[in-house]
Formats: sequence, C-alpha cells, structure tokens
Amino acid sequence: MSADHLISVKDLKKYYNGGAIKALDGVSIDIDKGEVVVIIGPSGSGKSTLLRSLNLLEIPTSGTITFEGTDITSKGNDINKFRQKMGMVFQHFNLFPHLTILNNMTLAPRKLKHESHEESEKFARELLNKVALGDRADAYPSQLSGGQKQRIAIVRALAMRPDVLLFDEPTSALDPEMVGEVLDVMKDLAREGMTMVVVTHEMGFAREVGDRIIFMDEGRIVVEGTPAEIFGQTDNERLKTFLAKVL
Amino acid sequence: MYLYQLSIEDWWKDLKDTFVLNFIADDRYMLLVKGLGNTFLVTLGATFLGIILGVLVALVRSTYDKNISDMRPGFGKGFLIVLNKIASAYLTVIRGTPMLVQLMIAYFVIFVSIAQHKTIVAIIAFGINSGAYVAEIIRSGIMSIDPGQFEAGRSLGFNYAQTMLYIIIPQALKNVLPALANEFIVLIKETSVSCYIGLHDLTKGGEIIRSRTYTAFMPLLAVAIIYLVIVMFFTKLVGILERRLRNSER
Repeated sequence: MSADHLISVKDLKKYYNGGAIKALDGVSIDIDKGEVVVIIGPSGSGKSTLLRSLNLLEIPTSGTITFEGTDITSKGNDINKFRQKMGMVFQHFNLFPHLTILNNMTLAPRKLKHESHEESEKFARELLNKVALGDRADAYPSQLSGGQKQRIAIVRALAMRPDVLLFDEPTSALDPEMVGEVLDVMKDLAREGMTMVVVTHEMGFAREVGDRIIFMDEGRIVVEGTPAEIFGQTDNERLKTFLAKVL
Repeated sequence: MYLYQLSIEDWWKDLKDTFVLNFIADDRYMLLVKGLGNTFLVTLGATFLGIILGVLVALVRSTYDKNISDMRPGFGKGFLIVLNKIASAYLTVIRGTPMLVQLMIAYFVIFVSIAQHKTIVAIIAFGINSGAYVAEIIRSGIMSIDPGQFEAGRSLGFNYAQTMLYIIIPQALKNVLPALANEFIVLIKETSVSCYIGLHDLTKGGEIIRSRTYTAFMPLLAVAIIYLVIVMFFTKLVGILERRLRNSER
C-alpha cells in the first residue's frame, strides 16, 4: 500500500522537446518516514530532476507522486499546501537578499501558517542556536559566508516544520573548507529522525548517513541498496565506472 | 566714452525695471509659485499613477513571458493571453505617439466631462503615459532577479502571486529605483506641455507674465532656471540614492 510510505513515486517520466530528451525515463521509488535517501549519479543522469519533481518544481510528463497518501500530481490538489510540508535546500542557497536572516526564516511561517511574530521568531531563534548562528539573526545574507548561508537555508526550510527535507546538491557551491559545517548540520538532522532526500556528490556523507543509496544514470534508477551494498562489491558495470571516477 | 558708460547704466536700470515689472509688480512672482505647485502636483500624481500602472503591466508581461510555454490550455492561459495583448497594445500606442497629442486627446476628447479639473486630467494623461515607460523599467527589474529566488519562494509553499509580492517585486523595485527616479525627473520637464490645455503649471506661469508685460526674456529665463535647479537637485539626490543602494549590497 502506497499510503504506508511518506512519498511514493510511480513510473515518473519527464521528457523535453517532445520526447527527444528523456530526463526521467520511468522512475519508481518509495521513501519512508525517517529515512535518509541519497541519490547519486553522473551529471545529466536525472537525479536533480527527480528531486525537483518531488515538490513539482519540475512538472513530470507522466507518472504519479503520492505524498502522505495524496496524489499531488493530480490536477485538483493544491500543490502549495504540500510544499509547505516539503522543505527544500538549493545548491545556490537562494536566501532572500532583501530580508534579514530572521525575516528569511519567519516570512513563510507568518504568511502561510499565520504564526504570530513572537511565535515564529522564538522558533527561528531556537533553530539558529541549533546551527550556531544565533548571533547573526539580524544580519543580511550578503554578510554571511557560503557555509553560513547554506546552514541558514536549511533552518529556513525547517522553520516551516516540514515532514521531509529535499537537498539539491547542498555542498556543490561551497568552498571545500565549508562543506564540513553543512554536512554536520545534515548529520544532526538525520540523527534526529528527519526524513531526507539528498542529491549529492559527497560519497563520504552518502556512505555514513544514507539509509539507502540510489544510483541513477540516463534517467533511470540503475542500482538501489544500502551503503554497504553500493560501496562494497558491486557487479554493476556502470556503478563501478562511476565510483571509480568519484572515489 | 561717456556715451558708453551711460549705456551701461541705462542697461542696468532697464534690467532692474524689467525685473520689477515682471516679478514684483502686482505680485507676479506668485504666478510662478502657483505654477510650480501645480507642476509638482501633476508630476507626483502622475508618478504615483504611473508606478501602479507600470507594476501591473510589468506583472502581466513578465508572467506571460515566463510561464506561457509551460501552461496547460484552459481558462487561465486564455485569460493571460488576453491580458498580455492588452498590455502590449497599451505599450505600443503610448510609446508610439507624442505625449502632447495624448494630452490633448485626453482633454478635448476623453475627459470632456471633467474638463474644468485640468490638474486631474493632466495627472491621468501623464500617469498613463509614464506607466508605459515605468512598466518596461520594472519588467527589466523582475527579469533580472535570479530564478532561484522564485523557486525558493515556491518551495516554501507561496503561490505565484505571494512569491511575486513578498520576494520578487521588493528586490526588483530596489534594483530599478534609480531608473524610476530618473523617470520622475523626465516627467517634471515633460509636464511643461500641459500649458497646451491651459493648466497653470510653471511654464504657463511664465507665459501669463509674458502676455501681461510684453517681455519674453525675463519670465522665460526664470522658468528655465527653476526647472534646471529642480532637475539638478533631484539628479543629485538620485546619485546619492544609487551610491547608498550599491553600498547596502555589500
């Protein structure tokens, strides 16, 4: 039963130019509550497209996505309601430069969930303290380093109290010395039981934190398994070639 | 030598007399003051109207440009196509005809019923005109915002309109603020054509003095200097504004 899974994707396809380019070519996965699913694969394999399809930032050509028992791809459903429960963290942070850190975090809870100023601010400050940025509440995004921006982006998503967090290559735009601080925040979240879907090139993170690894190539899921299965002895040629390049 | 000195004195006396005649006698300077007031009133009113119109038209145009290819056929798409057609026609007509002709059409044809309220007619005519230019300024501002900003807004659960209102428009307006201020400066000068409909603006104030004193030099020079000083003042202000905006980015 699909209702048992938090997210259930069935035969998802995304074609461009009338089928000439198949970004997703029939992908099915189930994601359970509390699970950390890491999607890896070469560039152009469709992993980002799959992630962005989960909250319909990409509109799939066909297939269904069921979130908490409701098919969000069917026309009658208000996608904005579901997106409130699916936080997203982007490669380029996408903080709102015209707002302070605090307002970046409280804008959506206040406007969409009608939380009071005090309520949303209290929770935002709690989250900021959790990522050791409590003193930067009144700063603007341009005053922060890349690593700090990405930590803010994570807690901005958390301020909506989402049921799942989607990460689209969260460390790819960071200077190497800042990757660690972002991954540490993500590890803490995983430990606390947050459901996460992560597209990443950080194989160390995938191996350490992932409950399940999905290897994609050419718009399909090629191999799916535990970190031990993926990074141990595999007999899939494509996965072997890929790992040989990135490890 | 004697003759020459006399003529300088004469010239000076003459100048003083003309000055007194044109500005002091009968409190004629009040004609300029009143005109200046109306010039500001029309400019501010038209700027306000122009920004409202401009934002609306810019929203229609940029929404159309960004989304029309991804939209499913239906009422929403049809409605957007119609709105975009209206917006395009508005831009073409307003930017393709002279301001003076638009003003006269507004005064002598469209708003005949409220023709005694010349200020209001002028505000509407200049506002509609300015809106077309403001729309293109704001549209360029909206298009310059990183698409990631839009995605971030949508991913939090904001709908299209909310994302525009809370995230895109504030940033776009900030980016184009200097260009909008320049539009305001252009408008100050442009409102001088409203003396064609008999509105008592600054230029008309000078004209009234000229028709009463039969001297053209002093009143017209005064009008020109007043425009110049106002424009220089606001240009300076825009410069300061630009510098401060640039600093706040860092």
